[in-house]
Amino acid sequence: MGKSKRMWLLALTAVVSLSVVTACSGPNNTKKNTGTTEPTNAAATAETEPKQDKVTFKIFNGVAGSKDGNTNETTIGKLLEDQTGVNFKLEFVVGDLNTKIGTMIAANDYPDVLIPDAAIEEVLNAGAFIPLDELIEKYGPNIQRVYGKSLNQMRSKDGKIYFLPIAAQVNDFIPEPEAGAGFWVQRRVLEEAGYPKIKTLDQYIELIKNYRDKHKDENLTGMVSLTHDWRFFATSNPPMHLMGYPNDGNVTVDTNTWEAKTYAGAESTKKWLKALNDLNAAGLFDKASFVDNYDQYIAKLTSHKVLGFFDYRWQVDNALNVLKDAARKDPSLDGFKYFPLPVTFEEGTPDAYLDPPGGLVTNRGIGITVSAKDPVRIIQFFDNMLTEENQTLMSWGIKGETYEVNEQGRYFRTQEQIDKIDEPFRESFGFKYFSWNWPMYNATSTLADGNAKNVASQPEVFQMTLTDKDKAILEKYGVQTYSQLFAEPVPRPYFPAWGFAKEQNSPEQLWEASKDEMTKKYFPKLVLTTPDKFDAVWEEYMKEFGKLDTAGYEKWTTEQVKAKVELANQ
Amino acid sequence: MDKNTVPALSRPAADKEPGRMRLFFKKLGQQRALAVMSVPFLIWLFVFKYLPLWGWSIAFQDYKPARKFMEQTWIGFEHFKFLFGDDRFLRVLRNTLAMSSINLFFGFVTAITLALLLNEIRNIAFKRVVQTVSYLPHFISWVVAASIIQTTLSPDGTINQLLVGLGFLDRGNEILFLGIPEYFWTIFGASSVWKDIGWNTIVYLAAMTTIDPTQYEAAEIDGANRFKKMIYVTLPGIKSVVIVLLIMNIGYLLESGFEPQYLLGNGMNVDYSENIDIFVLKYGIAQSNFSLSIAAGMFKTVVSFILLFMANNAAKRMGEARLY
Repeated sequence: MGKSKRMWLLALTAVVSLSVVTACSGPNNTKKNTGTTEPTNAAATAETEPKQDKVTFKIFNGVAGSKDGNTNETTIGKLLEDQTGVNFKLEFVVGDLNTKIGTMIAANDYPDVLIPDAAIEEVLNAGAFIPLDELIEKYGPNIQRVYGKSLNQMRSKDGKIYFLPIAAQVNDFIPEPEAGAGFWVQRRVLEEAGYPKIKTLDQYIELIKNYRDKHKDENLTGMVSLTHDWRFFATSNPPMHLMGYPNDGNVTVDTNTWEAKTYAGAESTKKWLKALNDLNAAGLFDKASFVDNYDQYIAKLTSHKVLGFFDYRWQVDNALNVLKDAARKDPSLDGFKYFPLPVTFEEGTPDAYLDPPGGLVTNRGIGITVSAKDPVRIIQFFDNMLTEENQTLMSWGIKGETYEVNEQGRYFRTQEQIDKIDEPFRESFGFKYFSWNWPMYNATSTLADGNAKNVASQPEVFQMTLTDKDKAILEKYGVQTYSQLFAEPVPRPYFPAWGFAKEQNSPEQLWEASKDEMTKKYFPKLVLTTPDKFDAVWEEYMKEFGKLDTAGYEKWTTEQVKAKVELANQ
Repeated sequence: MDKNTVPALSRPAADKEPGRMRLFFKKLGQQRALAVMSVPFLIWLFVFKYLPLWGWSIAFQDYKPARKFMEQTWIGFEHFKFLFGDDRFLRVLRNTLAMSSINLFFGFVTAITLALLLNEIRNIAFKRVVQTVSYLPHFISWVVAASIIQTTLSPDGTINQLLVGLGFLDRGNEILFLGIPEYFWTIFGASSVWKDIGWNTIVYLAAMTTIDPTQYEAAEIDGANRFKKMIYVTLPGIKSVVIVLLIMNIGYLLESGFEPQYLLGNGMNVDYSENIDIFVLKYGIAQSNFSLSIAAGMFKTVVSFILLFMANNAAKRMGEARLY
């Protein structure tokens, strides 16, 4: 008994001493807090007396991009804070986006501003965004100017606007100087063939075949393809491009009738896979394409052994940059750089590898949440961001420091400035924080004075980034930029169809998931089988594919396209 | 080791005297310090293991996040009907069971064999080296391990090069190991064994140290050789540990793991690599169909529960050590 009494006593002392500790630390803490906040508050109000108090809002970005931090710690962010008194504390996603957003929804506790990226539909369903209509009406003259013609496209089913899409087309359209996608080929292949004009898939394959045959002992790979996980579209999308359509995801859209058609089970896909099948039979296709992961794929592209591939530039940027840097240091390596070609099935088909001027991407955006303390200040900040001066500031920076203006009013950067703006500089200056995911003019827009909004799209700047070898090869083809090799994009007011918001757990989503699974299973079979069995495997695939409600998916997509076109024509 | 490892505490519960309750409270009074100390743990158990069971109700709803419980639409067994009606689900169930059985069987056999062999080694330095080398892969994450496996098995990887070098294959005809669906279970089993064999032997080696050395001496006097000692002394000595582990692992039979299948799986071997967890990820979580995920999770739990009880019962009948 004596022992247990002591135990109780011990427990009691523990509890008492704990409560004493907390009791003591309680007031202390608050004292300390008020002690530190008071002077800063006072300083802040004194400094910006004519303006409103300084505030800091929290913003969560569903795309991993940069380090977390305050916008006012960057040069651009500081200038914007001086104008509006608003600072943003940015937090970027780490780990799984859906888990993070799911936690916010479950707790009904959000940051002031949310960029939910792919999870936007859940956020909308949860009612986490406040409607912006009135705020835009009252405080958003610039928002109205920039998004004006697309405001109707931005409305949700109940007719209200809940978020601002990431970027809107303003003023003139300038295509990017480099193609966003294409059939890429090593420059040495083109050089040896005497820089032929390659227009069709057959010519492209012929080109690769010829080169490999001449260099049999070098252990070269004709083509590789990216198939890893969700990046599988790099292997399933080419039929669409080969038919001369831009990247609409799972469908091609006819600009006359606005009918959307899937192509995963169409003749075009068969033709594309047959071409790969033939390549494989000739030992020109890298079988491991179907088991390699993304890193292995990138490693192969930088190994100098791969002659060609199809992909989107953003997906292979890392590999292309490695090759570019190597060639800059040692021009003899220039032959290993890849050159984009506008390849289609038929000679006469105009290609569509350059994204056309289109509508808005309406399944991504930035919104103000129900937890926001002061939505007015936030919308005022967004509106202020969209002024001509601030858009210039965010992409070009400060005149005399990060860009110059010549007598004709054209913006350019000196070599010195180009060298200065490296990754750490982009971070400290704020180019990185303000490069995307804010309400802004999109990359193909121009400023009111005719200069490109995007620095890289300004022809003068682009020319400066080219090496002598680059200029030489472009000259062989009689163009100044890579994109001039490609057909001029045709405007499509609904574009892109992959950007249509799909409801969670809807037949459309299920169609896509099932289709993905089917193509991931059958495409490798089709490519790797012996050519005589190709048709039999295709039959098998068609039987499986026939089980899907493809007509329903096409109908849904067509409706979306038509609705968007109608809104755009209003 | 004594067969009767049932804790002494359960004995009073067995005899049905009228003063049973009084006895219980007397005991509780005597051991109140112990009881008080277990309270926080019980609270923890309740909050983190029992309260979440409330979430199972989601499986019977058309669940929409951020809506209150009463605002959800109830749809009964719809999700379960979808699950069991889908032949994809039956396929992933088959894969799950096959892969975890392979894992269970080979995991046990290889680990016990290695432990027996290690136990016979008298050279301590060599024993340590073998142990360290064999359990190192356990500390590599599956992401890295999968990359190593993928590279080794790729057409220009070590194994294919070896086969070509030895003349079994022609250059250009390399085998795409991960592209042949039927090979997947073997590759998965082998990788799991490689990764965890060393780690799994630790517990058996520990069990072996508890065997009384006099038993070996007695066996030796009776004329047993090394091999016989292994079979008749060491193995029975660790039997209780083996059985308890087996019972616990049988409870996890529907948890064939997620990472190796997800990382090594691809479109070509999906028919054999996709297990329940991946299915749930694809058709439940990725589609925000949380109800379906919960339904599948419930199914898993119930089946695991049944398996666990069955195994434990079997052990009880055979008079072996068991969980409870």
